[in-house]
Amino acid sequence: MRERSNIGAGLCAAALLLCAPSFASTALAQEWTTSLVDIHQGSPLSDKARGLGNGGYELQSGSWVSFSRWYHASWVDMHVDFLTQITPDTGLLWGFGTGEQAEKYSIGPSLKLGFLTQIHPNPNSTLSLSVTSTIGGGLTEKPCEADYGDLGTYSVNCRLAAGMTAPEETLKYLVSAKPETMHLWLNYRLTF
Amino acid sequence: MNTISCLNSRPSRSPLNWGMTLGVAAALAMLSAPIASAQEALSPDEMAALCHGGSSICVSATIPVARTTQAVQSWMSPDVGAAWATGYKGQGVTITMVDDFSSTSRFSGNFGIGVQTQRHGEWTREEASMIAPSATIRSKDFSTGSAVSLARGLNVLNLSYGMYTTAGYSVNQIWWAPEEASIINYATRGTAVVSKAAGNDAVAVGAAINGQQDYLDLALIGKSTAIFVGALSTNGTTANKAQLAWYSDYAGTNTQVQSHFLVVGVEGDKTGLYGTSFAAPIISGYAAIIGSKFTKATPVQITNDLLNTARTDTLANYDPSIYGKGEASLSRALAPVAIH
Repeated sequence: MRERSNIGAGLCAAALLLCAPSFASTALAQEWTTSLVDIHQGSPLSDKARGLGNGGYELQSGSWVSFSRWYHASWVDMHVDFLTQITPDTGLLWGFGTGEQAEKYSIGPSLKLGFLTQIHPNPNSTLSLSVTSTIGGGLTEKPCEADYGDLGTYSVNCRLAAGMTAPEETLKYLVSAKPETMHLWLNYRLTF
Repeated sequence: MNTISCLNSRPSRSPLNWGMTLGVAAALAMLSAPIASAQEALSPDEMAALCHGGSSICVSATIPVARTTQAVQSWMSPDVGAAWATGYKGQGVTITMVDDFSSTSRFSGNFGIGVQTQRHGEWTREEASMIAPSATIRSKDFSTGSAVSLARGLNVLNLSYGMYTTAGYSVNQIWWAPEEASIINYATRGTAVVSKAAGNDAVAVGAAINGQQDYLDLALIGKSTAIFVGALSTNGTTANKAQLAWYSDYAGTNTQVQSHFLVVGVEGDKTGLYGTSFAAPIISGYAAIIGSKFTKATPVQITNDLLNTARTDTLANYDPSIYGKGEASLSRALAPVAIH
Protein backbone atom coordinates (compact mmCIF):
# COMPACT_ATOMS: atom_id res chain seq x y z
CA MET A 1 0.00 0.00 0.00
CA ARG A 2 1.28 3.40 -0.84
CA GLU A 3 1.98 5.67 2.06
CA ARG A 4 -0.29 8.33 0.64
CA SER A 5 -3.15 5.95 0.51
CA ASN A 6 -3.06 5.25 4.20
CA ILE A 7 -5.89 7.46 5.24
CA GLY A 8 -5.28 7.01 8.93
CA ALA A 9 -1.70 8.15 8.70
CA GLY A 10 -2.75 10.96 6.40
CA LEU A 11 -5.32 12.23 8.81
CA CYS A 12 -2.93 12.05 11.72
CA ALA A 13 -0.17 13.89 9.99
CA ALA A 14 -2.32 16.56 8.47
CA ALA A 15 -4.40 17.37 11.48
CA LEU A 16 -1.53 17.07 13.90
CA LEU A 17 -3.66 14.89 16.05
CA LEU A 18 -2.42 12.52 18.62
CA CYS A 19 -2.08 9.20 16.92
CA ALA A 20 -1.72 6.21 19.07
CA PRO A 21 -0.30 3.20 17.36
CA SER A 22 -3.02 1.78 15.24
CA PHE A 23 -4.69 -1.24 16.54
CA ALA A 24 -5.96 -3.55 13.98
CA SER A 25 -9.49 -4.64 14.10
CA THR A 26 -10.65 -7.38 11.89
CA ALA A 27 -14.24 -7.06 12.67
CA LEU A 28 -15.35 -7.35 9.13
CA ALA A 29 -14.27 -9.34 6.19
CA GLN A 30 -12.74 -6.29 4.55
CA GLU A 31 -10.26 -6.07 7.39
CA TRP A 32 -11.30 -2.63 8.48
CA THR A 33 -8.65 -1.02 10.61
CA THR A 34 -9.51 1.20 13.54
CA SER A 35 -7.04 3.74 14.81
CA LEU A 36 -7.12 5.90 17.88
CA VAL A 37 -6.61 9.36 16.43
CA ASP A 38 -7.16 11.67 19.36
CA ILE A 39 -7.58 11.64 23.09
CA HIS A 40 -7.74 14.76 25.16
CA GLN A 41 -9.40 16.33 28.17
CA GLY A 42 -11.15 19.67 28.12
CA SER A 43 -13.00 21.63 25.49
CA PRO A 44 -14.11 25.17 24.83
CA LEU A 45 -17.23 24.42 26.87
CA SER A 46 -15.13 23.11 29.75
CA ASP A 47 -13.17 26.34 29.67
CA LYS A 48 -16.36 28.35 29.57
CA ALA A 49 -17.78 26.47 32.54
CA ARG A 50 -14.58 26.93 34.49
CA GLY A 51 -14.76 30.66 33.79
CA LEU A 52 -18.14 30.81 35.52
CA GLY A 53 -16.35 29.99 38.75
CA ASN A 54 -14.54 33.30 38.89
CA GLY A 55 -15.89 35.75 41.41
CA GLY A 56 -18.30 35.74 44.30
CA TYR A 57 -20.27 38.03 46.58
CA GLU A 58 -21.24 38.66 50.16
CA LEU A 59 -24.43 37.39 51.67
CA GLN A 60 -26.49 39.68 53.90
CA SER A 61 -24.46 38.51 56.88
CA GLY A 62 -21.24 39.49 55.16
CA SER A 63 -20.03 35.94 54.67
CA TRP A 64 -18.34 35.44 51.33
CA VAL A 65 -19.72 33.07 48.74
CA SER A 66 -17.17 32.03 46.14
CA PHE A 67 -18.47 30.74 42.83
CA SER A 68 -15.57 28.34 42.53
CA ARG A 69 -17.18 25.71 44.74
CA TRP A 70 -20.18 25.61 42.43
CA TYR A 71 -18.23 25.45 39.20
CA HIS A 72 -15.41 23.08 40.03
CA ALA A 73 -15.58 19.69 38.33
CA SER A 74 -13.56 16.82 39.70
CA TRP A 75 -13.45 15.21 36.26
CA VAL A 76 -12.82 17.13 33.08
CA ASP A 77 -14.65 16.15 29.92
CA MET A 78 -12.53 13.58 28.04
CA HIS A 79 -12.80 13.11 24.29
CA VAL A 80 -11.63 9.99 22.48
CA ASP A 81 -11.74 9.86 18.67
CA PHE A 82 -11.21 6.92 16.37
CA LEU A 83 -10.88 6.40 12.66
CA THR A 84 -12.08 3.20 11.06
CA GLN A 85 -10.64 2.80 7.62
CA ILE A 86 -13.12 1.29 5.19
CA THR A 87 -11.25 1.64 1.92
CA PRO A 88 -7.79 3.01 1.23
CA ASP A 89 -9.35 6.43 0.72
CA THR A 90 -12.36 6.54 2.99
CA GLY A 91 -12.96 6.06 6.64
CA LEU A 92 -15.42 6.56 9.41
CA LEU A 93 -14.60 9.03 12.14
CA TRP A 94 -16.22 8.35 15.45
CA GLY A 95 -15.68 9.04 19.09
CA PHE A 96 -17.20 10.08 22.34
CA GLY A 97 -16.88 12.56 25.17
CA THR A 98 -17.42 11.61 28.77
CA GLY A 99 -18.95 14.92 29.83
CA GLU A 100 -18.32 16.56 33.17
CA GLN A 101 -20.33 17.65 36.13
CA ALA A 102 -20.07 20.20 38.90
CA GLU A 103 -22.57 21.35 41.48
CA LYS A 104 -24.04 24.06 39.26
CA TYR A 105 -23.41 22.90 35.72
CA SER A 106 -23.10 19.84 33.65
CA ILE A 107 -21.63 19.00 30.27
CA GLY A 108 -23.40 16.00 28.88
CA PRO A 109 -21.74 12.99 27.30
CA SER A 110 -21.28 13.34 23.58
CA LEU A 111 -21.00 11.13 20.54
CA LYS A 112 -19.09 12.12 17.43
CA LEU A 113 -19.76 10.61 14.01
CA GLY A 114 -18.39 11.46 10.58
CA PHE A 115 -16.42 10.36 7.61
CA LEU A 116 -13.12 11.08 5.95
CA THR A 117 -12.31 10.75 2.30
CA GLN A 118 -9.33 11.67 0.20
CA ILE A 119 -8.35 11.92 -3.44
CA HIS A 120 -4.99 12.24 -5.10
CA PRO A 121 -4.95 14.96 -7.76
CA ASN A 122 -1.45 13.84 -8.64
CA PRO A 123 1.02 11.39 -7.19
CA ASN A 124 2.53 13.96 -4.87
CA SER A 125 -0.59 15.48 -3.42
CA THR A 126 -3.60 14.51 -1.36
CA LEU A 127 -6.83 16.37 -0.89
CA SER A 128 -8.75 15.25 2.18
CA LEU A 129 -12.23 16.10 3.32
CA SER A 130 -13.81 15.15 6.58
CA VAL A 131 -17.18 15.96 8.04
CA THR A 132 -18.06 15.17 11.63
CA SER A 133 -21.15 15.79 13.66
CA THR A 134 -21.42 15.81 17.44
CA ILE A 135 -24.51 14.76 19.31
CA GLY A 136 -24.92 15.82 22.94
CA GLY A 137 -22.17 17.42 24.96
CA GLY A 138 -24.15 20.56 25.81
CA LEU A 139 -23.29 22.80 28.74
CA THR A 140 -26.20 23.46 31.08
CA GLU A 141 -25.95 25.78 34.05
CA LYS A 142 -28.19 24.97 36.98
CA PRO A 143 -30.06 27.53 39.12
CA CYS A 144 -29.72 28.11 42.85
CA GLU A 145 -32.32 28.58 45.54
CA ALA A 146 -31.81 32.00 47.09
CA ASP A 147 -33.42 32.92 50.38
CA TYR A 148 -33.95 36.67 50.68
CA GLY A 149 -35.57 36.51 54.10
CA ASP A 150 -38.83 38.44 54.22
CA LEU A 151 -38.55 39.15 50.51
CA GLY A 152 -39.01 35.51 49.67
CA THR A 153 -37.18 32.54 48.23
CA TYR A 154 -36.48 32.43 44.54
CA SER A 155 -34.90 30.19 41.98
CA VAL A 156 -32.06 32.33 40.65
CA ASN A 157 -28.94 32.37 38.60
CA CYS A 158 -26.39 31.64 41.32
CA ARG A 159 -23.94 34.20 39.96
CA LEU A 160 -26.43 37.06 39.79
CA ALA A 161 -28.33 36.51 43.02
CA ALA A 162 -26.77 39.49 44.78
CA GLY A 163 -27.04 41.94 41.89
CA MET A 164 -29.77 44.36 40.99
CA THR A 165 -31.51 42.12 38.51
CA ALA A 166 -34.86 40.77 39.63
CA PRO A 167 -34.44 37.18 40.83
CA GLU A 168 -36.70 35.73 38.16
CA GLU A 169 -34.90 37.77 35.48
CA THR A 170 -31.54 36.29 36.41
CA LEU A 171 -32.66 32.92 35.09
CA LYS A 172 -32.47 34.34 31.57
CA TYR A 173 -28.73 34.52 31.99
CA LEU A 174 -28.15 30.88 32.85
CA VAL A 175 -25.58 29.57 30.44
CA SER A 176 -26.81 27.01 27.96
CA ALA A 177 -24.37 26.23 25.18
CA LYS A 178 -23.90 23.51 22.64
CA PRO A 179 -20.61 22.25 21.34
CA GLU A 180 -19.64 22.65 17.73
CA THR A 181 -22.19 20.32 16.19
CA MET A 182 -20.79 20.11 12.66
CA HIS A 183 -17.15 20.21 11.72
CA LEU A 184 -15.95 20.39 8.13
CA TRP A 185 -12.28 19.84 7.53
CA LEU A 186 -10.55 20.24 4.18
CA ASN A 187 -6.87 19.61 3.77
CA TYR A 188 -4.49 19.63 0.83
CA ARG A 189 -1.10 18.04 1.22
CA LEU A 190 1.71 18.34 -1.25
CA THR A 191 4.81 16.21 -0.86
CA PHE A 192 8.04 17.38 -2.48
CA MET B 1 -54.52 74.54 67.84
CA ASN B 2 -51.32 75.21 66.03
CA THR B 3 -50.59 75.13 62.37
CA ILE B 4 -47.31 74.18 60.89
CA SER B 5 -46.86 74.60 57.23
CA CYS B 6 -44.13 74.79 54.68
CA LEU B 7 -41.89 77.48 53.50
CA ASN B 8 -43.69 79.74 51.05
CA SER B 9 -47.05 78.29 51.93
CA ARG B 10 -50.22 79.99 50.86
CA PRO B 11 -51.11 83.29 52.50
CA SER B 12 -53.92 81.74 54.49
CA ARG B 13 -51.48 79.73 56.45
CA SER B 14 -50.50 80.57 59.96
CA PRO B 15 -47.44 82.72 60.50
CA LEU B 16 -46.00 79.78 62.42
CA ASN B 17 -44.52 78.66 59.14
CA TRP B 18 -41.78 81.18 59.86
CA GLY B 19 -40.36 78.72 62.36
CA MET B 20 -40.05 76.11 59.69
CA THR B 21 -38.71 78.64 57.27
CA LEU B 22 -36.03 79.58 59.71
CA GLY B 23 -35.23 75.98 60.52
CA VAL B 24 -34.81 74.86 56.94
CA ALA B 25 -33.27 78.00 55.59
CA ALA B 26 -30.83 78.35 58.43
CA ALA B 27 -29.73 74.75 58.17
CA LEU B 28 -29.21 75.01 54.45
CA ALA B 29 -27.33 78.24 54.72
CA MET B 30 -25.11 76.87 57.42
CA LEU B 31 -24.43 73.55 55.80
CA SER B 32 -23.96 74.54 52.22
CA ALA B 33 -20.36 74.71 51.16
CA PRO B 34 -19.00 78.19 50.56
CA ILE B 35 -18.32 77.70 46.88
CA ALA B 36 -18.36 81.29 45.73
CA SER B 37 -16.28 81.04 42.64
CA ALA B 38 -17.64 81.58 39.19
CA GLN B 39 -20.49 79.19 38.61
CA GLU B 40 -21.60 77.54 35.47
CA ALA B 41 -24.71 79.15 34.15
CA LEU B 42 -27.69 76.88 34.15
CA SER B 43 -30.22 76.63 31.47
CA PRO B 44 -33.76 77.11 32.68
CA ASP B 45 -35.01 74.11 34.56
CA GLU B 46 -38.01 72.79 32.73
CA MET B 47 -39.06 70.81 35.72
CA ALA B 48 -39.27 73.84 37.94
CA ALA B 49 -41.30 75.61 35.33
CA LEU B 50 -43.78 72.78 35.30
CA CYS B 51 -44.02 72.93 39.05
CA HIS B 52 -44.88 76.60 38.95
CA GLY B 53 -47.67 75.91 36.58
CA GLY B 54 -50.13 75.01 39.28
CA SER B 55 -49.56 71.29 39.39
CA SER B 56 -47.99 70.13 42.60
CA ILE B 57 -46.53 67.03 41.01
CA CYS B 58 -44.00 67.25 38.24
CA VAL B 59 -42.95 64.08 36.55
CA SER B 60 -39.29 63.95 35.79
CA ALA B 61 -39.40 63.18 32.11
CA THR B 62 -37.50 66.33 31.39
CA ILE B 63 -34.92 66.27 34.15
CA PRO B 64 -31.75 67.52 32.55
CA VAL B 65 -28.14 66.52 32.98
CA ALA B 66 -28.09 64.11 35.84
CA ARG B 67 -30.46 61.46 34.56
CA THR B 68 -28.11 60.68 31.76
CA THR B 69 -25.18 60.40 34.14
CA GLN B 70 -24.94 56.85 35.36
CA ALA B 71 -21.32 56.78 36.41
CA VAL B 72 -20.44 55.84 39.96
CA GLN B 73 -19.20 59.07 41.53
CA SER B 74 -16.50 59.38 44.14
CA TRP B 75 -18.95 60.65 46.73
CA MET B 76 -21.02 57.49 46.46
CA SER B 77 -20.41 54.51 48.64
CA PRO B 78 -18.18 51.91 46.94
CA ASP B 79 -21.08 49.67 47.72
CA VAL B 80 -23.12 51.36 45.00
CA GLY B 81 -20.63 50.51 42.29
CA ALA B 82 -20.55 46.91 43.41
CA ALA B 83 -24.30 46.67 43.36
CA TRP B 84 -24.59 48.46 40.03
CA ALA B 85 -22.57 45.80 38.27
CA THR B 86 -25.64 44.30 36.68
CA GLY B 87 -29.25 44.92 36.10
CA TYR B 88 -31.76 47.55 36.94
CA LYS B 89 -31.18 50.74 38.87
CA GLY B 90 -34.57 51.69 40.19
CA GLN B 91 -36.74 50.80 37.22
CA GLY B 92 -40.44 50.67 37.93
CA VAL B 93 -40.22 52.63 41.18
CA THR B 94 -41.31 56.22 41.77
CA ILE B 95 -39.39 58.51 44.09
CA THR B 96 -41.29 61.63 45.03
CA MET B 97 -39.04 64.42 46.21
CA VAL B 98 -41.04 66.68 48.53
CA ASP B 99 -38.86 69.72 48.58
CA ASP B 100 -38.26 73.28 47.45
CA PHE B 101 -38.58 73.60 43.71
CA SER B 102 -39.85 77.16 43.50
CA SER B 103 -38.02 79.50 45.85
CA THR B 104 -35.35 81.93 44.79
CA SER B 105 -32.82 80.32 47.13
CA ARG B 106 -30.07 78.55 45.28
CA PHE B 107 -26.67 77.29 46.28
CA SER B 108 -23.70 75.67 44.62
CA GLY B 109 -22.26 72.22 44.65
CA ASN B 110 -20.83 69.54 42.43
CA PHE B 111 -22.01 65.95 42.28
CA GLY B 112 -19.12 65.12 39.99
CA ILE B 113 -20.76 66.43 36.85
CA GLY B 114 -19.63 70.03 37.14
CA VAL B 115 -20.41 72.88 39.48
CA GLN B 116 -24.09 73.81 39.50
CA THR B 117 -26.18 76.35 41.37
CA GLN B 118 -29.62 74.99 42.14
CA ARG B 119 -32.52 75.03 44.51
CA HIS B 120 -32.51 72.63 47.42
CA GLY B 121 -35.02 70.33 45.79
CA GLU B 122 -33.15 70.32 42.54
CA TRP B 123 -30.06 69.13 44.38
CA THR B 124 -31.80 66.35 46.28
CA ARG B 125 -33.62 65.28 43.13
CA GLU B 126 -30.40 65.13 41.19
CA GLU B 127 -28.76 63.08 43.90
CA ALA B 128 -31.57 60.52 44.06
CA SER B 129 -31.59 60.23 40.28
CA MET B 130 -27.87 59.58 40.26
CA ILE B 131 -28.22 56.76 42.78
CA ALA B 132 -31.21 55.21 41.03
CA PRO B 133 -30.95 56.39 37.41
CA SER B 134 -33.84 54.30 36.16
CA ALA B 135 -36.33 55.37 38.80
CA THR B 136 -39.10 57.76 37.95
CA ILE B 137 -38.48 60.90 39.95
CA ARG B 138 -41.36 63.22 40.81
CA SER B 139 -40.87 66.69 42.17
CA LYS B 140 -43.44 67.85 44.71
CA ASP B 141 -42.99 71.45 45.70
CA PHE B 142 -43.54 71.59 49.44
CA SER B 143 -44.80 75.15 49.29
CA THR B 144 -48.10 73.96 47.85
CA GLY B 145 -49.06 72.09 50.99
CA SER B 146 -51.30 69.82 48.97
CA ALA B 147 -51.48 66.10 49.60
CA VAL B 148 -48.78 63.93 48.09
CA SER B 149 -50.25 61.42 45.70
CA LEU B 150 -48.79 58.00 45.08
CA ALA B 151 -47.94 56.55 41.70
CA ARG B 152 -48.62 53.01 40.57
CA GLY B 153 -46.12 50.51 41.84
CA LEU B 154 -43.66 51.07 44.63
CA ASN B 155 -43.41 54.59 46.01
CA VAL B 156 -40.57 56.19 47.90
CA LEU B 157 -41.03 59.62 49.45
CA ASN B 158 -37.96 61.73 50.11
CA LEU B 159 -38.23 64.31 52.86
CA SER B 160 -35.10 66.41 53.07
CA TYR B 161 -36.79 68.97 55.25
CA GLY B 162 -38.27 69.38 58.67
CA MET B 163 -41.35 70.96 60.16
CA TYR B 164 -40.19 73.13 63.00
CA THR B 165 -42.12 75.09 65.52
CA THR B 166 -42.05 75.86 69.21
CA ALA B 167 -41.15 72.86 71.28
CA GLY B 168 -43.50 71.33 73.75
CA TYR B 169 -46.57 70.36 71.76
CA SER B 170 -47.72 66.85 71.32
CA VAL B 171 -47.91 65.54 67.77
CA ASN B 172 -51.66 65.21 68.22
CA GLN B 173 -51.95 68.94 68.73
CA ILE B 174 -50.51 69.69 65.35
CA TRP B 175 -52.84 70.62 62.52
CA TRP B 176 -51.01 69.15 59.63
CA ALA B 177 -51.23 70.44 56.13
CA PRO B 178 -52.66 67.89 53.69
CA GLU B 179 -49.12 67.39 52.44
CA GLU B 180 -47.62 66.17 55.69
CA ALA B 181 -50.86 64.50 56.75
CA SER B 182 -50.71 62.37 53.62
CA ILE B 183 -47.05 61.52 54.18
CA ILE B 184 -47.62 60.52 57.79
CA ASN B 185 -50.59 58.46 56.69
CA TYR B 186 -48.51 56.60 54.10
CA ALA B 187 -45.80 55.89 56.67
CA THR B 188 -48.40 54.70 59.16
CA ARG B 189 -50.16 52.42 56.69
CA GLY B 190 -46.90 51.26 55.12
CA THR B 191 -47.92 52.26 51.62
CA ALA B 192 -44.72 54.15 50.77
CA VAL B 193 -41.15 54.08 51.97
CA VAL B 194 -40.52 57.42 53.67
CA SER B 195 -36.90 58.54 53.81
CA LYS B 196 -36.63 61.45 56.23
CA ALA B 197 -33.50 63.52 56.77
CA ALA B 198 -32.75 63.25 60.47
CA GLY B 199 -31.85 66.89 60.94
CA ASN B 200 -28.76 69.02 61.21
CA ASP B 201 -28.80 70.16 64.80
CA ALA B 202 -26.57 67.46 66.31
CA VAL B 203 -29.34 66.38 68.67
CA ALA B 204 -31.34 63.18 69.02
CA VAL B 205 -34.11 62.78 66.48
CA GLY B 206 -37.12 64.76 67.66
CA ALA B 207 -35.27 66.59 70.42
CA ALA B 208 -35.74 70.31 70.94
CA ILE B 209 -33.05 72.77 69.98
CA ASN B 210 -33.25 76.47 70.71
CA GLY B 211 -36.86 76.05 71.68
CA GLN B 212 -37.81 74.44 68.36
CA GLN B 213 -38.66 70.86 67.42
CA ASP B 214 -39.02 69.02 64.15
CA TYR B 215 -42.57 67.75 64.47
CA LEU B 216 -42.36 65.79 61.27
CA ASP B 217 -39.66 63.70 62.90
CA LEU B 218 -41.87 63.23 65.94
CA ALA B 219 -44.88 62.27 63.84
CA LEU B 220 -42.93 59.62 61.98
CA ILE B 221 -41.50 57.87 65.02
CA GLY B 222 -42.88 54.35 65.28
CA LYS B 223 -44.27 54.35 61.73
CA SER B 224 -43.61 51.15 59.85
CA THR B 225 -42.03 52.57 56.70
CA ALA B 226 -40.34 55.68 58.07
CA ILE B 227 -36.55 55.74 57.96
CA PHE B 228 -34.61 58.52 59.64
CA VAL B 229 -31.36 59.14 57.84
CA GLY B 230 -28.32 60.60 59.51
CA ALA B 231 -25.09 61.63 57.86
CA LEU B 232 -21.61 60.20 58.21
CA SER B 233 -18.69 62.40 57.30
CA THR B 234 -17.42 59.69 54.95
CA ASN B 235 -18.55 56.39 53.51
CA GLY B 236 -17.39 53.76 55.96
CA THR B 237 -15.30 50.70 55.26
CA THR B 238 -13.95 48.12 57.63
CA ALA B 239 -10.48 49.57 57.12
CA ASN B 240 -11.56 53.21 57.42
CA LYS B 241 -14.48 53.39 59.74
CA ALA B 242 -16.80 56.35 59.47
CA GLN B 243 -18.02 58.76 62.11
CA LEU B 244 -21.23 60.67 62.39
CA ALA B 245 -20.96 64.04 60.71
CA TRP B 246 -20.57 66.85 63.23
CA TYR B 247 -23.93 68.38 62.34
CA SER B 248 -26.04 65.25 62.01
CA ASP B 249 -28.85 64.40 64.36
CA TYR B 250 -28.40 60.99 65.91
CA ALA B 251 -30.75 58.21 66.92
CA GLY B 252 -30.92 58.90 70.66
CA THR B 253 -32.24 56.59 73.32
CA ASN B 254 -35.70 55.99 71.90
CA THR B 255 -35.60 52.41 70.64
CA GLN B 256 -38.35 53.16 68.14
CA VAL B 257 -36.05 55.68 66.53
CA GLN B 258 -32.98 53.46 66.80
CA SER B 259 -34.74 50.65 64.97
CA HIS B 260 -35.61 52.98 62.05
CA PHE B 261 -32.45 55.04 61.90
CA LEU B 262 -29.77 54.59 59.22
CA VAL B 263 -26.64 56.51 58.39
CA VAL B 264 -24.92 57.06 55.04
CA GLY B 265 -21.81 58.93 53.96
CA VAL B 266 -22.33 62.54 52.91
CA GLU B 267 -18.94 63.43 51.53
CA GLY B 268 -19.30 67.17 51.40
CA ASP B 269 -15.60 67.62 50.92
CA LYS B 270 -16.12 66.18 47.44
CA THR B 271 -19.46 67.74 46.55
CA GLY B 272 -19.57 70.93 48.57
CA LEU B 273 -22.95 69.74 49.84
CA TYR B 274 -23.41 68.98 53.51
CA GLY B 275 -26.38 68.02 55.59
CA THR B 276 -28.75 65.16 56.20
CA SER B 277 -30.72 66.62 53.29
CA PHE B 278 -28.19 64.82 51.15
CA ALA B 279 -28.33 61.62 53.21
CA ALA B 280 -32.04 60.96 52.71
CA PRO B 281 -31.89 60.85 48.87
CA ILE B 282 -29.26 58.13 49.08
CA ILE B 283 -31.64 55.96 51.06
CA SER B 284 -34.46 56.88 48.68
CA GLY B 285 -32.29 55.71 45.79
CA TYR B 286 -31.37 52.51 47.57
CA ALA B 287 -35.03 51.78 48.30
CA ALA B 288 -35.85 52.31 44.62
CA ILE B 289 -33.13 49.93 43.53
CA ILE B 290 -34.27 47.27 45.98
CA GLY B 291 -37.83 47.80 44.80
CA SER B 292 -36.78 47.33 41.19
CA LYS B 293 -35.20 44.02 42.07
CA PHE B 294 -37.98 42.70 44.27
CA THR B 295 -40.92 43.83 42.24
CA LYS B 296 -43.51 42.24 44.50
CA ALA B 297 -42.04 43.55 47.74
CA THR B 298 -44.11 45.86 49.90
CA PRO B 299 -42.78 49.15 51.25
CA VAL B 300 -42.62 47.55 54.69
CA GLN B 301 -40.48 44.70 53.37
CA ILE B 302 -38.14 47.08 51.59
CA THR B 303 -37.84 49.27 54.65
CA ASN B 304 -37.03 46.28 56.81
CA ASP B 305 -34.55 44.98 54.25
CA LEU B 306 -32.63 48.25 54.38
CA LEU B 307 -32.77 48.38 58.17
CA ASN B 308 -31.84 44.76 58.75
CA THR B 309 -28.85 44.73 56.43
CA ALA B 310 -27.19 47.89 57.71
CA ARG B 311 -23.56 47.44 58.67
CA THR B 312 -22.06 48.26 62.02
CA ASP B 313 -18.51 47.12 61.24
CA THR B 314 -17.86 50.16 59.06
CA LEU B 315 -18.59 52.62 61.88
CA ALA B 316 -16.26 53.98 64.52
CA ASN B 317 -17.40 52.92 68.00
CA TYR B 318 -20.80 51.71 66.87
CA ASP B 319 -23.51 52.65 69.31
CA PRO B 320 -27.20 52.27 68.44
CA SER B 321 -28.01 55.51 70.23
CA ILE B 322 -25.80 57.29 67.70
CA TYR B 323 -25.99 55.23 64.52
CA GLY B 324 -29.28 53.41 65.01
CA LYS B 325 -29.20 50.29 62.86
CA GLY B 326 -25.94 51.31 61.21
CA GLU B 327 -24.64 52.27 57.80
CA ALA B 328 -26.95 51.33 54.96
CA SER B 329 -25.46 48.74 52.62
CA LEU B 330 -27.03 48.48 49.22
CA SER B 331 -25.09 45.39 48.24
CA ARG B 332 -26.15 43.53 51.36
CA ALA B 333 -29.73 44.65 51.02
CA LEU B 334 -29.74 43.10 47.54
CA ALA B 335 -27.95 39.93 48.57
CA PRO B 336 -29.57 36.71 49.72
CA VAL B 337 -29.57 35.61 53.34
CA ALA B 338 -28.55 32.18 52.12
CA ILE B 339 -28.08 30.45 48.80
CA HIS B 340 -27.61 26.87 47.81
